[in-house]
Formats: sequence, C-alpha cells, structure tokens
Amino acid sequence: MSNTPDQPPPSLVKIPPTESATRRSFFAITAAVVAGSIAVLTPIGVGLAAFLTPLFRKSKSPEVRIALLDQVPDDGMPRYFPVVADREDAWTRYPAQRVGAVYLIRLAGEEKPTAFTAKCPHAGCFIGYTPGAKVFQCPCHTSAFNLDGSRVNGDAEVAPRGMDALPVSIRQAKTGDGNTIAEVWVEFIDFQTGHKEKIPTA
Amino acid sequence: MTKLFQSLGDWFDDRAGVRKLIHESLYEPIPGGARWRYVWGSTLVMAFVTQLVTGIFLWMAYSPSTQTAWESVFYIQYEMNGGWLLRGIHHFMAQAMVVLLAIHFLQVVWDGAYRAPRELNFILGLILMLIVLGLALTGYLLPWDQKGYWATSVGTNLASQAPVVGPDVKKLAVGGSEYGHQTLTRFFALHAGVLPGALMAFLVLHIALFRRHGLHARKPDHKLDSMFWPDQVLKDSIAALAVLTVVLGLTIYFRGAELTAPADPANPYDAARPEWYFLFLFQFLKWFPGELEVWGAFIIPGLIMAVLFVMPWIGRTRTGHLINIALLCLLLGGAAALTAQAIHEDYFAAWNSKEDILKADDPVLAARYEASERFLNAKTEAHREAERVIELAESPQRIPPTGALSMMYDDPLLQGPKLFAQNCASCHNFVDPSKPAEEQPHAIVNAKPTAPNLFGVGSEAWALGILNPEKIASAHYFGYEGSPFVDGEMATYVTDTFGADISDEQKAKAKEAFAKIAEALEAEAALPTGPKLNEERKNRIAEGRALMTGGLSEMLDSGMSCTDCHKFHDTGDLGSAPDLTGYMSREWLLAFVRNPAGERFYGDNNDRMPAFGPHDNPQLNQLDDKSLGLIVDWLRGDWVRVSEPVEAE
Repeated sequence: MSNTPDQPPPSLVKIPPTESATRRSFFAITAAVVAGSIAVLTPIGVGLAAFLTPLFRKSKSPEVRIALLDQVPDDGMPRYFPVVADREDAWTRYPAQRVGAVYLIRLAGEEKPTAFTAKCPHAGCFIGYTPGAKVFQCPCHTSAFNLDGSRVNGDAEVAPRGMDALPVSIRQAKTGDGNTIAEVWVEFIDFQTGHKEKIPTA
Repeated sequence: MTKLFQSLGDWFDDRAGVRKLIHESLYEPIPGGARWRYVWGSTLVMAFVTQLVTGIFLWMAYSPSTQTAWESVFYIQYEMNGGWLLRGIHHFMAQAMVVLLAIHFLQVVWDGAYRAPRELNFILGLILMLIVLGLALTGYLLPWDQKGYWATSVGTNLASQAPVVGPDVKKLAVGGSEYGHQTLTRFFALHAGVLPGALMAFLVLHIALFRRHGLHARKPDHKLDSMFWPDQVLKDSIAALAVLTVVLGLTIYFRGAELTAPADPANPYDAARPEWYFLFLFQFLKWFPGELEVWGAFIIPGLIMAVLFVMPWIGRTRTGHLINIALLCLLLGGAAALTAQAIHEDYFAAWNSKEDILKADDPVLAARYEASERFLNAKTEAHREAERVIELAESPQRIPPTGALSMMYDDPLLQGPKLFAQNCASCHNFVDPSKPAEEQPHAIVNAKPTAPNLFGVGSEAWALGILNPEKIASAHYFGYEGSPFVDGEMATYVTDTFGADISDEQKAKAKEAFAKIAEALEAEAALPTGPKLNEERKNRIAEGRALMTGGLSEMLDSGMSCTDCHKFHDTGDLGSAPDLTGYMSREWLLAFVRNPAGERFYGDNNDRMPAFGPHDNPQLNQLDDKSLGLIVDWLRGDWVRVSEPVEAE
C-alpha cells in the first residue's frame, strides 16, 4: 500500500470531471455541508445550552432577620451586622451562612433604622466603618460615603452611586415569657455594581 | 544493531515522512548567524511547555469546588513531595512569561519585524498575548484563597460594567450571580482547557508563519549564515536554562507561591490586589470616577489594543515606525509609573512615619496614610489567619468535610477576637497588664473601659489581682469609670485586709492565704493553659478551699471568709455575690454572659453589662450559642494548640 516515489500524494491526484458531475455535485456539496454542520453543531449546541444555564436561573432575595431593635440605639451611629441566611451554591445548600453584611443606622427619634448593604456599589468590595468615624470607607478604590450613604465627593467619587439602602421592616417576636420583642428584618437584595442605577442582580 | 535502527527508521519515514519534517524544523537558515537576540521567542515556547507540564501535574492534585479547591492546593503546597516547588514553578513561570512576552513584543516592534509580509504573524502574536493574560487572570482564582477570590471578584464586577452584555457575560463567567462551585469549574475549564488549547493552536500558526517568512534578521551582514540546529538551538537552550534558573531562584527565595486564608465571601480582604503585572490597570481605574469607569475599564484599553493591532500598517513608513516605538515607550512608561504609584500608595504607611504625616496636617496625605495602614493591617491579619488555618489543617484533626472555611469559623483563636471586638470591646479591654500595649499585637484596647479587663480571666494571676488592694482598685478590675464596685464590699474587704493598721506579720499571712485561694479558684476554672497538678499543688488548692469556706474568718480581723458573701460548692448562699463554684469555667462563663443579672451572678447589683443570651430561643438573643461559645473559649485560651507541644500528663 505504500506510495512509491513516482506516485503523487493523494491530494494532488486529479479526477477528470464527467458530464453528470455538475448537477450531482450541487447536491453532494449541499448534503455534505448540511450533514457535516449538523454533526458538528449538535454537540456544540447541547454544550452551549448547558453552559448558558446561569442566565436562566432566577434567585430570590431573602428576607433576613438582622438584629433586635434594641441593638440599634437611635444615636445615628452605624452598626455592623452580618447577614445570615441559607445559601445555595449549585448542589450545596449552606444553612445559616453569612451571605453579606449590613450597616444599621437609627437617627434620634426614628422608629425604623436605615439599612445599607456593606457591598460597595463600585466594584463589590466590603465597605468598612471605624466606630466613631464620620464616613464609611471602601478599602479597594478608596470610595468614601457619608453616614447617610451619599458619596463624600459626589460625582467625583469612584463609586457611581451612593451606598445601597435595603428595605427594612420591624417585626414583633414573642419571647418565652409572653412578651414581644422588636426585630429588624431586611430584604437582602444584591445590586449590580458599577452603574448609576440600582439594578438587582437576580 | 545500527542496521536494525536504520531499517526501522526507514520503515517509519516511509509511512510518516518524519525525516523531512525533522530536517525542515531543524535546518532553518539563519541569516547572519545565530545570535542571542533571537532567543526570546524560544524562551516563551519553553516557558509555555513548562506551564503545560507543571499544570498537568497540578491538575492531577487539584479539585475545583468551594470545599475542595483551597484544600487541595493546601495539600499540594504542604503535603505532597515537592508540591510547593511544583506550584512555585508554575506560579513564577507565569510571571516570567509575562515579562518574556513584553520583551519579545518590544523587540518585534523595535526591529520593525511586523512589516509586510509579517503583519498577520504580528496579529497572531497579539492574540497569543491576550490568551496568556487570560491564563494569568483565570489561574489567580483557582486556589480559592482570600487574595485570589477578592481580586478576581473585583475583576469580574468590572466586566459586568461592559456596555449591554456586561451583566450576562459576568453571569456566564461566574456561573451565576454569586461566586461558587460553578465559578471554579468554569475558570478551571478556561484555564486548563480552552485557553491552553487556543494557545497551542495559535502558537502552531505563529511558528508556521514565522518559518514561512523566515527569521527577521536585524543586520544580515559581516557573519556567515548558519543553521538553526545546532547553533541557535544551543543559544536558545542556554537562555531557557537561564529563565528556569531565575524562576527556581524566585520559587526558593519566596518558598513557593503564597496561599492565603480560604476564600470567605462574608469577610472581605482589604488588601485585594491583582498580580503585579495587572496593578497598572488597577491604578488606572482610580482615575475614572463613577460612570466614567467604562472609559478606564473598556474604551481606553480597547482603543490601545486596537492601535496595537494596526501597528504593522502604521509602521509602513519610517515616521510611522518611529510613532509606533514612541507609542510603545509611552505605554510601557505609563504602565511602569502607574505600577509604581499603586505600590507607593499601598506601602505609604510603611515608608512614612505617622508623626510626619500628622505634622503635615494635609487631609489628602492623612487619608492616604490611613488607606495604606488598612491595606498593611489587612495583609498582616490575612497572614496570621492563613498561618492558623494551615496549622489546623496540618494538625491531626485535619480539614472537616465541610471544608477549611468551616474550620476557620469554628476556631476560637480566629473568631474570638473578632466577636470580642464587635460585642465586648466597647466596654472591656483585653490587654496583658504586665506589658505595654504596644508590644501586644493581639491586644484589644479600649482607652476608656467601663468594665474589667478580661485578659487572662480565670487564671491564678487574674484571681490574685482581685485579691490585691492596688489591683482591684485599678481600671483593670473594679476601678473603671463609673464602677459601683470600686467602693463595694469586695474592694473594701481586700483593702481592709491590707490596711494601714494591720501588722506586717498579719499581712504576710493574708498574702499567703490569698495565694492559695487564687490557686483554688484557678482549679475551678480548669483552664487548658493551667499549670500541671502535682501533689504539692493539690494540697495548696485544698488549703485554699478550706480558707474560702471559713478558714479566712479565723485569720482576718474582718472575721469574714469568701462564703460569707459568695456561694462555693455546698457552702454559702446565692444572692449577694457571684457563685464561685466552677468560677470562670466554660459553663460558668457561658451562663454569666447569657445573663449576668441572674441570681447566680450579680443579680440586682449587676453594672451595665447586657444579657447576651437570656432566651431559650436563640433567635431572640443578641448572640447565638456558637458565638457565645467561641468568645468564652477564646477568653479561656481554649483552642486547638499545635505549635506548642502539650506535655503528657
């Protein structure tokens, strides 16, 4: 079967065209392209469908109990609380995980505290707060926010918007001795970073 | 024998035509002879091959999921034979590759080697560069440690700002709206499959075109032409060896690549920075506030890339070529300046003294100092955390199936100080009073405490402090601001025992008695760090107990023992002072923190300490049971000890 030196390699062998070849070759070409494309594209399509799964998953923002109202005195000072909720990651369910953090601030005389998520609206770092300080500070790109969540330097700040406030509700819970105790609940919405508007990621 | 090889070779060549192939690849003429300046492309190939080889071996040990990624890298780094070396070579060779790429690219532009007919190959080279940068980016996340996690999450958040498709691209890259298993599987598939595959394909094209056009000789003059083999191959090999030497040197010098603490989505890493060769981009972004960021992150870098791609056409004239060179110098100079600026900002606090900054009274400098201080502190803290986690992982208890992060969350040594700072430090101190606070990196200092210092609670030294007239009146015990106890019965009792009218002989006797009581109290606490019990100590403890329950009253002028106010086991009553039974034991402290105003503790005499867990339903408490346990265990020094060997009983 081996080629002898005087034989040209297969790719250079010329087959003389025949009369019926033109008509037949049109069908042959179409069929070859269609069949070949289906054979190649099917696995790609199936793979892509699986790959695109995340675009079709919708997640719900959990309502989370953050603290007792007593833990947030109305002195206008931000207090840091971890957000503990069940978290699902693909096949793993983590019960009661720290999924983020919020700052609760209650101004004098206010019933309900304001809640700011600690996630920086710029690039998602955790905004820090030193007790007693007058501003929140993000460690990554040095964004700074006033205690009402607005940007210290306005539009000259790296962050495109102020800190994201979350919906807060006060719920009454029963204690063992029959009394009620006020709790702070927050809808923990995750917002897209880097935009002027607050757009939920889910 | 030779004949056999000869005929085998013939048979093989007859069917595969290998001899021609080998001949073609080795006997490429080099105009002007082999030169050192031609080695850069070859060193890049060698670097890539090194990455392939080390990468495949790393792959054999790596497991991409959030409970196994850090853990498997830990195993590679600390337990496998030479694993640190393998990972270190992979890590530093990746950096070498970026440097070599820059040199190769610079040389091509400088020499005008992109001119016709080599434009297409120049473009292939740029594509290869982008693939290599993609490999660097995806590889940084795979160890799933704090550094990689937070740096990459900043990167993917930036990607989500790309116009229109940004959010969806991010979702696809991350595999959902949050980082998790699917982020690792996807990044790993990109890093170990898609990108290296693409790199190989483009590399084959790049080399094929290179061979087609031949080497772009700088000045094919005085010297004779020579062949690629063996002259240039020798030079290439020596260069490759030099690169490897540098990489090995770096690996050994830094003892391999760093592995910081496991990624914790709830605990940000304030020192998140990209790898040094991306630092200029990081710094560049700071110039673009708010929505202008799109310019810094996409438009300007995109334009720069576009200019790079059309360089061969710009460089068709001599002026154009000079423009290209100027442009490149500008870009590299800019990147270098930005990198220097980023490093300078981060290490500002390390290179400047705080006094000088405060003296300057410049808010910009002060803010920079503060930011840098935070960066440095975060780095130190991350190192400490990483050391502890690795210590635990190496200990006989190993990593639990829930992963290293859960092990971190369960460790009193790591969590205790954080919980204490959050919940206790607004009133209490945690400082060793026998040393200056500046010498204690782990001290938690409250300049104006409104409660006792809790350093060493339950220890003999701590108990002795209460029984010492100077110490009990100090801020470390009952002398804090607004304390109702500083003039209380306990303080008065101790002060009177050593009062001015007491004879020295009597004082010495009381001191001896109090020392035994302190030992008896420490025995109640049963601290894991307590001294070993021997016969002598047991006797002293028994004597101390006898003194507490009546012995003291016969000895002291006041005629009172501990149990006249306190309950101690079966002697004395509850109600007027804290129960000393099991004083500062885990159970005692837990119950105390839950409700210090309980009958067993201070009752109505409780100062301002809140009840942290009075309810049976943990949901209603300020602190959950686990956090309470972690704080108490940390205060009592009750954590897994590995580095300090525990003496056998």
